[in-house]
Amino acid sequence: MAGSFRVQRLPSASPGIALAARAAAIVLALVFAGLILAMTGANPIELASEVVDASFGSSFGMEDLGVLVIPLIMTGLSVAVAQQIGAWNIGAEGQFYAGAFAAAAVGLFVPGPPALILVLMFFAGLIGGAVWILVPTLARAYANVNELITTLLLNFVAILLVYFVSTNAWRDKMANSATPRLSAEIPEFWGSIHWGLPIAIIVALLVAGLLAFSRWGYEVRLVGSNPSAAKYAGMPVRRHLITVMLLSGAIAGLAGMLEIAGTVHRLQGGISNNYGYLGIMVAVLARSSAVGVIFSAALMAFILNSGIILQTQGLTTSTVLAITGLILFLTAIGDELAHYRIARDKA
Amino acid sequence: MDLLTGLFTTAFLAGGVLALAALGEVLAERVGVVNLGVEGLMALGALTAIATVAAIPSPTIGFLAALGVGALFGALFAFATVILRANQVLCGLALTLMGSGIASTIGRAYSGMPARATFAPIEVPLLSKIPVIGPAFFSQNILLYLIFIILPVGLSYIMFRTRHGLNLRAVGENPAAADAAGIPVNLIRFAYVTAGSALAAGAGAYLTLTFVPSWSDGVVAGRGWIAVALVIFAGYRPIPAVLSGLLFGFITALGFVGQARGWPIAPAFLSMLPYLGTMAFIIVPVLAWQRMRRIMAAPAAIGVPYYRDLR
Repeated sequence: MAGSFRVQRLPSASPGIALAARAAAIVLALVFAGLILAMTGANPIELASEVVDASFGSSFGMEDLGVLVIPLIMTGLSVAVAQQIGAWNIGAEGQFYAGAFAAAAVGLFVPGPPALILVLMFFAGLIGGAVWILVPTLARAYANVNELITTLLLNFVAILLVYFVSTNAWRDKMANSATPRLSAEIPEFWGSIHWGLPIAIIVALLVAGLLAFSRWGYEVRLVGSNPSAAKYAGMPVRRHLITVMLLSGAIAGLAGMLEIAGTVHRLQGGISNNYGYLGIMVAVLARSSAVGVIFSAALMAFILNSGIILQTQGLTTSTVLAITGLILFLTAIGDELAHYRIARDKA
Repeated sequence: MDLLTGLFTTAFLAGGVLALAALGEVLAERVGVVNLGVEGLMALGALTAIATVAAIPSPTIGFLAALGVGALFGALFAFATVILRANQVLCGLALTLMGSGIASTIGRAYSGMPARATFAPIEVPLLSKIPVIGPAFFSQNILLYLIFIILPVGLSYIMFRTRHGLNLRAVGENPAAADAAGIPVNLIRFAYVTAGSALAAGAGAYLTLTFVPSWSDGVVAGRGWIAVALVIFAGYRPIPAVLSGLLFGFITALGFVGQARGWPIAPAFLSMLPYLGTMAFIIVPVLAWQRMRRIMAAPAAIGVPYYRDLR
């Protein structure tokens, strides 16, 4: 029979269709969320215009976005880097806390001029994050233990640790649930936006450059796409896995450092705002591209900020988490459907 | 109640939550689907149970409602991963984000409210009078017997002693061969993923109906992830899954006893025990006994979507 159609699956989706599928997933998720809000009696169109107005209508709105995007770029980059070699770092949340913890230790207890302290905090954040992913990294490299679960379990340990020190040994006698203000802070350059923003963008571009142009980056990408071929070609698969995962942890740790040194100025429980989990979303939307992370982090910051603006309507960060989950769910489906095309049978 | 009795009683309660969730994950992984949504499903189940008993004060109805909600979200997950064949890791993470987010949002209305009805302990005559272990084993609520005896033994029998069990394991090991042998691969996957999700939500309900009896944000606290890790530790088998759940219940109970007795360790560090314990228990065995890897091996087709048209 001439002209009959059939669905055909292609081994790889074309980038254009994949991008369109992602855009459709985001729009569809937001429409769903709007419909649910409408069912609870709110007017989604009115809320949407309120959000756009509050985000882009004033310099305050833009400042909030600028501050929110910093940790999201970093945690998204952390997840995206690990993805390059085929590892799932679901522990960016914990590494964020560990980096903040290490940086706070420097900021609270090391005396010295602020500029020097900031540099020390910077490296403390990197090391804190890297130490936090060390055991999952070695377990994956030497015993092939699934890093997805081990990195995740350490999140809870890091959160408990930070909660403990900020309410006990390091607590401010006046505040009780937070440490005293840190001795050094990252200066601001536009309203409340601090130099953490350019640092985050530079780190992302640096990582992108390394992955795209260095021999190390080439080998890492090859190991990520085909480990056995890379091994056969004589590449140090295990060593690359270890360096990439430690780098991933260090970047998430730096996110924690930038957050406490630039935005919060003290260590306390709940500083992360789920940035580690939202980072997974940022990395997935960016298709694990380090440059793409900057843009998807901006989108994520907008969604997160909308949640904060709409708090009066019963929306909170947990609602944002639910909407993020819906976007991720529809993105996963969209990614798969982008592989299909409708072909006409030649009869 | 003396120390040991308290320890065992808490171990069974805390372990029951993990055991039930782990059993659900065993079902999904045995047919080849990794469900990382357990944490979110547990949050949904925990909230559904609290909200239901607030309206109808019957723990049984609360538990059944949680099973229903779990099956609903499980079917959604199965539709995406089994029928549409979307990435299982992404969909699982998405389900966890959605479930935890929805539960915290709706749960704000129930925050801090104690459960209006809970599963009461049932005393087995005579046996519950045995010193130390009697109250812990024979004076527990009825669900505990379901979780620790009926479900694991029943599932183990079905999985390893029946023709249906052979089919379902074949679907997880080699779906193409199973399909060629006339086994409905997608139907079996869909059914077991949905059933497993219902059990995960049931574990959440069990948490808020017996163990903590109230709702608070973050009440699940990573137990879903511990359950996923336990399945690996248990080698994808129902009875070891339940036993390792009990082992972890015991670790949790130790932390509680430490807090109650004022051990000179901060509560925060005692609360870290289950997470660090889980880490140790999935890392140490593979390092210590290389041979264990083959015995404990995961189903071969785990995480791999099945495309019949590409066969």
